[in-house]
Formats: sequence, structure tokens, C-alpha cells
Amino acid sequence: MSVRVIARLDIKGPNLVKGVHLEGLRVLGSPERFAQAYYREGIDELVYMDVVASLYQRNSLVDFVRLTAQDIFIPLTVGGGLRTLEDIRQVLVAGADKVSLNTAAIARPDFIREAARKFGSSTVVVSIEAIRMPNGQYEAYTDNGRERTGVNAFDWACRAAELGAGEILLTSIDREGTGKGFDLELTRTVAQAVTIPVVACGGAGTLDHIRDVVSRGAADAVCIASLLHYDLLKRMGTDYRAGEEGNVEFLKQARNFSKVSGAAVGDIKRVLRESAIACRPAFESTSHV
Amino acid sequence: MQDKLEVKYGLPETVRYCARCVMSNQRPASSVEFKHGKNHRHRALHFDAEGVCDACRFAERKESIDWKQREEELLRLLDRYRRKDGYYDCVVPGSGGKDSAYASHVLKYKYGMHPLTVTWPPILYTDIGLRNFRNWIEVGGFDNITFKPNGRVHRLLTRLAIENLLHPFQSFILGQKNLAPKIAIKYEIPLVFYGENEAEYGNPIADNQQSLRDKSYFTLQNLSDVSLGGVPINELIEQHGLNLNDLMAYLPADYKDIERTNVDVHYLGYYLKWTPQECYYYAIEHTGFEANPVRTEGTYSKYNSLDDKIDGFHYYTTYIKFGIGRATYDASQEIRNRHLTREEGVALVRRFDGEFPGFYFQEVMDYIGMKPERFHQLCDQFRSPHLWKKEDGQWQLRHPLS
Amino acid sequence: MSDSAAPAIVIVDYGMGNLFSVLRACQSVGVEAVITDSKQAVSDAAAVILPGVGAFGVAMENLAALDLIDVLRDVAATGKPLLGVCLGMQLLMSESHEFGHHRGLDIIPGNVVQLPLIPGLGAASKVPHVGWESVEPPVSSREGHAPGSAWDGTLLEGLPGGEYMYFVHSFYCRPRDQARVLSVTRYGTFEFCSAVTLGNVMGCQFHPERSGPAGLLIYRNFSAKVASLKQGEQRAGQA
Repeated sequence: MSVRVIARLDIKGPNLVKGVHLEGLRVLGSPERFAQAYYREGIDELVYMDVVASLYQRNSLVDFVRLTAQDIFIPLTVGGGLRTLEDIRQVLVAGADKVSLNTAAIARPDFIREAARKFGSSTVVVSIEAIRMPNGQYEAYTDNGRERTGVNAFDWACRAAELGAGEILLTSIDREGTGKGFDLELTRTVAQAVTIPVVACGGAGTLDHIRDVVSRGAADAVCIASLLHYDLLKRMGTDYRAGEEGNVEFLKQARNFSKVSGAAVGDIKRVLRESAIACRPAFESTSHV
Repeated sequence: MQDKLEVKYGLPETVRYCARCVMSNQRPASSVEFKHGKNHRHRALHFDAEGVCDACRFAERKESIDWKQREEELLRLLDRYRRKDGYYDCVVPGSGGKDSAYASHVLKYKYGMHPLTVTWPPILYTDIGLRNFRNWIEVGGFDNITFKPNGRVHRLLTRLAIENLLHPFQSFILGQKNLAPKIAIKYEIPLVFYGENEAEYGNPIADNQQSLRDKSYFTLQNLSDVSLGGVPINELIEQHGLNLNDLMAYLPADYKDIERTNVDVHYLGYYLKWTPQECYYYAIEHTGFEANPVRTEGTYSKYNSLDDKIDGFHYYTTYIKFGIGRATYDASQEIRNRHLTREEGVALVRRFDGEFPGFYFQEVMDYIGMKPERFHQLCDQFRSPHLWKKEDGQWQLRHPLS
Repeated sequence: MSDSAAPAIVIVDYGMGNLFSVLRACQSVGVEAVITDSKQAVSDAAAVILPGVGAFGVAMENLAALDLIDVLRDVAATGKPLLGVCLGMQLLMSESHEFGHHRGLDIIPGNVVQLPLIPGLGAASKVPHVGWESVEPPVSSREGHAPGSAWDGTLLEGLPGGEYMYFVHSFYCRPRDQARVLSVTRYGTFEFCSAVTLGNVMGCQFHPERSGPAGLLIYRNFSAKVASLKQGEQRAGQA
């Protein structure tokens, strides 16, 4: 079986943003530009997360989904603030293949069952954002890593699978954005407990981390953000324009973020194949992105 | 005809909100804390003719400042003070939060200075606060002097400040503002760097045009007009069994000593463009900083003010006294830095402002030896009628954010 | 002379399936396609795409309710191009064992059965099969052909063998006649049929509209086939 390499784009309004520990809204550029580049380079799937939808209690990704669905022909998962079946339907009609549910699902677990029944299990991804507790267990958080739920992440994953989720997108809030590597224990525990695919997210800082989360973390797919974005930003340069909304200081000052070494889609796939982990090959990089 | 409502604290009678950020005109400017008596009248946030607050105007001006030139000024300043004989050349106060992490690190590792970091610790360290403090020193790499005040005095003054002023943070603020200059005097390090200037948050713009921190904040000329916890010094000594030595930690440096040693206090935020959220990323990158795993109570943010269990109380009491909670402070700052739109700020304030600090509540009550009912009673006493009304047994703001 | 009355290609809407991505894939290769649930439109169409995501039994019920079963069989019988995608390919078969026993369209004799559980890298079996796998010509068809030409004349023409396509499924097709197998794919150690063909009917278990540029080539081939048939008709009409 091959492993999927997925790019995650955290989106706020018109911007691609990237935080650490799901905090901070540093703008990295326009999400279309990044999405198109990853598609051309051979990424297997894309995830668009509206990171403030639950927090601000709004939805705004539909237009962006529709826009990129015009010329991106790989699976697209969309999440962030999806609270009703109608929210899901709108996003699917706009061009998404799958939806990611977190806050609304924990608040009312039957929502998963209803969505799976109406749209098909394979359409419903349950996103679990987890923090390690002092006792070694993991707690699930909602609202972009802000609200405690008292829900054990492992138990919740099992329950979500029973309720009809097609996949679990599992993010370690402790690791995400830090470049320190995935949480192998969290990933493996969940991946070995459920029969649906588990996508590991959060913490990739080097290519070895990605190989490790597959071979030692039992991940069925890897979801990458910082590692890809900071590298692509360096290669593409910024499209920042003065006066734009958002925390654009990083772009303005043309700085570097040393916590992640940065890697392209091709690098990731090469390392996987070199480690005898099957995956769809990347495309030869074109002369300019 | 309605009776005229009482207006406490010398605040403006009419509540108005800034047209740009979400701050209200009830926001008090930073006080000179050791003159903060029971009948203190606060200087409130100024709005100009267009309804825009001073802090927003300052933020606007930040965009047109020539930062290259300001950095050159900084370089010249640092060149004058930089030492090569192995001794410290500047003092950076802080606790390992994102701002002091950035200030200390950039001064040492980018500009080649030799800072001595100085810490007046939180009243009650949170776990994450202590971790971040340790990482600041151990991962960031700095010498640090931490001054811990007498625990019994600290507890008493905290309680008195709550009872007399509903100001839980005063004992912390007193030390935080005073310690660095006193250490600078003692150790003969004539340069102190604070981070942002408080005018960024709406203290009078005049204070901010130059870098030097207004000396009235931290110098003392006459002991007799000093109050701590809302209680005059002589009363503290006569009625609470304290002596002068117990109180020195909370008093600022003597003016004569400042003059003699020529200690200069500067805002780094005058020389370097300050974006708090980017300080967060910088601290993650360089000093082992970690955000709060959950959002801090009363706000949506995870990177601001994490280290004191009393933080939540502080903002809850500003909500009680001024109708301004933590989400308002955080959102206003982020709106000024253009991370959020006003509309987004409003949504966040409506959702989180004034959230009761339940998580550490009992612990803090135990610390100061107060019954929870008494605290709630105090809150009710301190609400200004011109801000609050009681409807169906619930307190409501008369003029919530719009 | 252009036939402007009926759209060239219809995409059948029977309440299940990623219709919009299929539509967009058609548009991106320059083809006019229309989503419809109308029996008449399907019957009049020059070519039909049958997408599908979900359960076999429910799909057949929905098709029956729209009275589309015979119409689709007629489309195939009259030699019009018919492309079944994912569940749509499975529906072309005679029967399925998903959640009971259901009859299919029986356009290509065969049945639909559950994928066996395959150990994953972490020793856990995962259902459904989600991901990219390579698509190869079946061994039999490779013999006697120059490399790379096993698929000439089919909808997979122009694809090098071993191209990766995107799969999401728990069941797979077993055509009775091995000659119907257009491509095979390995899932772990298990090999299954990933595309079928019979005349102008084709089915692919994977989602060409989600398989990047390689998948779009299939839509391009489909559209070229429709165009060449139309040309053929026109020439025949003029003769």
C-alpha cells in the first residue's frame, strides 16, 4: 500500500497562515498560489482548514474551494467550522471531496453518523487535535486548539470510527509548527486501534520525521504544513503587497524560520521511496514554480 | 426622568468604543502604582475627533516611521554602552514571556550586547510560565537575577490591593516596574531596556515620542505620599505590623540614586518595530517558548500573559471596573497590528470577554485567605453604576461592544 | 454541421457521487457535459458518465426510482460510450455482495466482492482502501504487444503502465471473462481488477477526475472517442 503525502493549508480570510501549537496567524501568502504549486509538484491531496471559523463562528471557505477546484484535480478535504449537514453540502458542491469535522462532532457525536449516512463514510474525516496530558494520556481539543473537552483522544478516535468516519486526521498540538517531529506514540496508538486510515499531522521538521511516522508511527498518510510551506516560500518568493490584512511582518522582513529545514514534495517522496515505502512519484520540478 | 448614574474612578461618563479597534474610552492609563490610593482617578483613553483612540493612532504612525533610521539610533546608543571587559552593559527585565525573550535575545545575539536579565516573578507561577522562564535562561542563554519578595508581605499586599482597589495585580506590577532600575543602580549597569512602550496600548502619546521611559514611573522623592495596596505607608506600618524594610521591595529607586548613577531606561519598541505575535514566533524559535495549550481564560489567545495564575483575575477585575476584559485587550492589540479585522475582534470579544477565571479561582482565594463570597461581594461593590445594570439577577453591561 | 440540440456527454445524477469534480474534469479537457437525472436526457445523450460514491444497494434503488436502469443498458447496447467511475464501474457488473445481495446493471458479466483485509505497514488492516496505487495492463494483454501499447485503442491509451491513480473503495469487481479486464492494481500483495472494458463501455475503479494530469488524460480520451464516433455518424449520414 502506498502512503499519501498531503499538504495542509491553514487559511484565514484571504491568507495562508501558519502558527505554532495552533497559535499565531503569521501570513505566508496567498493560498491559491501554494495549492497550485503543490498540485504541480505532485502532492497527493490537499487539506484546507479555516482556522478561525469555529473561533469566530463563521464559514468562509466555500469561495476559495470553488476557485481552486477549477484546475486542481486531486482529492481535497475541507474543514473548519462545519456545523450542519447544509454546511457540508455547500462545501462538497463547491468542489471538496471530503469534509473534516472536529468541534461540531465532539459537541454532538451523532453528527458524524448523520453526515456519513447522507454523504458516505469516505466523505467524512474526523479531525482530532490532541494535547498530551501529564499522565501520558491525550486530550482532544476544539476551536483550533483552544478549548478543552475532557475527551480522551484515543477513545474518541475509536468512537468516531464506529460512528462512520472514513478517516481520522490526527494532529498533535504539542508538536505542530515546532518542527520537532510527529508524536509517534500518539499516532501509533490510534492507527493500530482503528480500522480506518489515520493521517498523521503536526511536527514534521525534517525528512526523517516523515519516514519515521510511517515506519514507526504506523501512519497511513502524512499531512505536512510548515515543512512544505517555508520551503516553497523560499523558492517562490513572496507575493506580499503592502496594506494587506493579517500578520505580514514575517514576509515584510523576508525572514527565515529556522525550526523547520524545509522540503519540497519531491524530496519527501524520494525519502519515502528510498526507505521502501511506496508512494505516488512526484513530478519533475519545472523550471519555475 | 432617570437619576444620573454614579461614575466611579473618574472615568468618562459616556461609554464609547474606538472606531478602529475594540477598546473603549473607559480604559485607564497605566498609573504610577505607588501613588494609587483608594480615591484614585484614572486618566482614561483619549479618542480623537474621528473616534479613533490614541493607541490606534500610534499604530498608524508606526507604519510611517523610518525603522532603518531608528535602528541606526539604536546602534549608536548600543555602541556607547557596549562593554568588552566581560561586564554587563544593559539590564533587561522580564519573565521569559515572548516580549522579554525577544528583547533579551535580540540585544545579545544580534546586537552583541551583554544583558543581565532581571526577574520579578509572578505572584503564582503557572506550570507553563515556569517552564518558559527556565527555557528562557537555559535554552535562550542568559544570566538572570530573580528577586523574590517576602512571601508573607506579598500575600498581604495582594489581598489589600484586592480589598481596597480590586487590583489583584498591583503587587506584581509594583515590583515589575521598579526592579530593573534598582538592580541597574546596585550593579552599576547604566542602561535598562523595556520592550514595548505602553503608549502602544493607549497611554498618552506624548509619553512615547522619545524613548526614555518617563522617570516618574519609577522614582521616588517623598515617602509620605506612597500607598501600597491602597493603604498609605504609615498605616501599613502602624496597623499591619510591617516595617520599612518589608516594604522596600515595592518602592521605587530613590531619585538621587538614579541621578548619581545615570541609569537610563529605554523602550526597545522605540527602536525596533514591535509585533507581539512575531515576538511569539521568535521566542519559539530561540528561547524554547511554548504557548499555553488551552486558550487563556477570558480571551482567545494562547501566547499572551501566561505565567501568573492571577492573570485571569487581573483581567476579570478590569472587566468589573472598566467593562474591559482580556479579549478586548488582546483583540485591540491584534487589530492595531492588522492581524484581525474589527469585525473579527468584535466576535471574539463578544464570545470571551469577562469570562470568569474559574480555573485557578479557589487556589488564589486560598492564597490570599479570602472567601469566594467576599470576592464576589467586592466585585459588586466595585462595579461602576454608569457601566453596569442588574437584569433578572444578572449583571449586564449597559453599553456592550458594538 | 454541429449537433447543438443535445449535449455531447451527460453525467448521471442519481443522488450519489462527486458529480462536480467529474464535470470540472470534462470542462478542463474542453468538453461540454451536463449533470442530469432525466431519463430522456440520458437516453438522448451521445455519451454517458456514471459516477458514484457510496453503497451499491442504495445506488441501484436510486437508479430504479429514476427509471434509469433500462436506459443505461440501452446506452451500452447501442454502442454509445459509457464510462463508469468507482461505484459506477461496480454498477456495470451483474451483482454485488455489499450489505446483502444486489443485482447490478449486468452490462459486463461479473460480480462485486469485498476487498480482503490486507496488513498495513503498521500491521493493521485498513478499510476502505484509500490512496494512490499503480495501474498496469494485465499480464495477458502485455504479451505480444510492444511495451506501452497494450492500451492502444482503449480509454487508457497514452498512459504508461504503472501510472498511479486515486482509489477509494472497499469492494472490487470480478468480471467473469478475463478479456474484460483492462487494468490491474496491487493492494499489498493482492491484485484486483482496476478497470474493465467491453466495446465502448469502460469502467475504472479509481477516480480519474481526482488523479491529477494522468486522470485527465482518460477524460480526454473519452471525449476524443465521443467526437470520433460523432464524426463517423456524420460521415455515415452523408454517405
